[in-house]
Amino acid sequence: MPTRALVIGGLVLGCIYGVFMGLYGATRPDTSSFLQLLATTLKVPLLFLLTLCVTFPSLYVFSALAGSRLKFEQTLRLLLAAVAINLALLASLGPVVGFFTLSTQSYPFMIVLNVIMLGFSGLWGLIFLRRALVHVFAPKEPDAPVTLDIAVDGSDIAPVEGPVKGQEGSSDDGSADVTVPLVGAPAIPILPGASPYARSLRRDRPEEPGLLVFRGWLVVYGVVGAQMGWVLRPFIGSPDLPFTWFREREGNFLQGLFDAIASLFS
Amino acid sequence: MSLIATTNDLLRTRHPERLVESLPTRQLILLLIVAGFAYGAIMGSYTLRPLQALFSGTKVPILLTASSIVCLPSFFVINTLLGLRDDFPVVFRALISTQLTMAIVLVSLAPFTAFAYLSVEDYNFAKVFNGIMFLVASLAGHVQLGRVYEPLIQRDPRHRIGRRAWLTLYIVVTIQLAWMLRPFVGAPGMPTAFFRDGVWDNAYVVVINEVWNLFTR
Repeated sequence: MPTRALVIGGLVLGCIYGVFMGLYGATRPDTSSFLQLLATTLKVPLLFLLTLCVTFPSLYVFSALAGSRLKFEQTLRLLLAAVAINLALLASLGPVVGFFTLSTQSYPFMIVLNVIMLGFSGLWGLIFLRRALVHVFAPKEPDAPVTLDIAVDGSDIAPVEGPVKGQEGSSDDGSADVTVPLVGAPAIPILPGASPYARSLRRDRPEEPGLLVFRGWLVVYGVVGAQMGWVLRPFIGSPDLPFTWFREREGNFLQGLFDAIASLFS
Repeated sequence: MSLIATTNDLLRTRHPERLVESLPTRQLILLLIVAGFAYGAIMGSYTLRPLQALFSGTKVPILLTASSIVCLPSFFVINTLLGLRDDFPVVFRALISTQLTMAIVLVSLAPFTAFAYLSVEDYNFAKVFNGIMFLVASLAGHVQLGRVYEPLIQRDPRHRIGRRAWLTLYIVVTIQLAWMLRPFVGAPGMPTAFFRDGVWDNAYVVVINEVWNLFTR
């Protein structure tokens, strides 16, 4: 799928959920506002777009530093795909939100419901991303020698490679031949399961740092996304306040969520 | 476009010192200035004063280069005394790649800084947040430096002393330099300025005085 299709598809899906989310503002008894419906329709895709804009540059820089095999375009497309899945699920939850909007007057309930919907679909997007990443960073086909980039003297001596047949099925994951060519040193063949070094090599997998960067990024993405939602509020539109495109800078996402939950119980 | 390609190569290479050698000096300087300025401009836009953003943008490349220049002569002599002068060109290029990596990482973190300014209206938070961003960038630069130093240390353990000497010198000098170059964020109540009053104050004396006041008050 081309990158542009991913972006446009994502934006459309975001708008669909935005319509259902903004429905509350449009159907409030006293202060109904179609502007709120319009604002929310535009803000939901914007929320995802801006979150990606904020978090993507550093993700790319750190994954490249950590030795990720993914190129710029590939990294971007992977994330766009994850966001598109997130938005597809979110859009499909739209009718549920619409149903509750028409059957509920409680504003705090709508806040909590929307946070749950966004959180739930976001989690799915991240699960997809994680699965894709494990696939991307998984060791390649078992016959490929694992190259440890240890330059002993910093000179340009070509790596010496000497694949050695391993005993098939002797290791847990069925990988067969592992050769560690040391630059500037004779190749050290390692039979899987034969030496403790081979085991430790497989356990800390040399290509893991890239995966680690992505894992850390998932947390950052979640935090920025939640706070971005707070910065872009109002999405639903409080029944006591007139329509505004944006609210004052104050508080943060967690504070707002706890307030909504607290007022549900009071 | 070639700047972006250079950035990409710098991030992906496992031999930054060789890459630095192969690139034209002008390209390296340009990259450092552009990247440093970009982060500085965002950093200085806390109060939305364009002049402060311009000042901060100018100061970040200075911060990234000046302390290295101050430390280089003593670092060169230390390397010579350790008997490592033959490796100095490699180490020197590694240091250049470290500063470039810092600048690149800083730019990639700039959206976070802008977003933090947008989310939280608190000057102290802004200061601490920028401190964390610089810390992250420094750590990334340190990792890049380690990539060059690791094989060197394996061959000659005296390089370990060389690296520690560099880090100590660099940190001590950079803290004072950063203090001199204040303000970076620009306090809301203070006028826009390239330097604060008391530019020649000493960061360490200020800290010692603060601690002293804490206990004697």
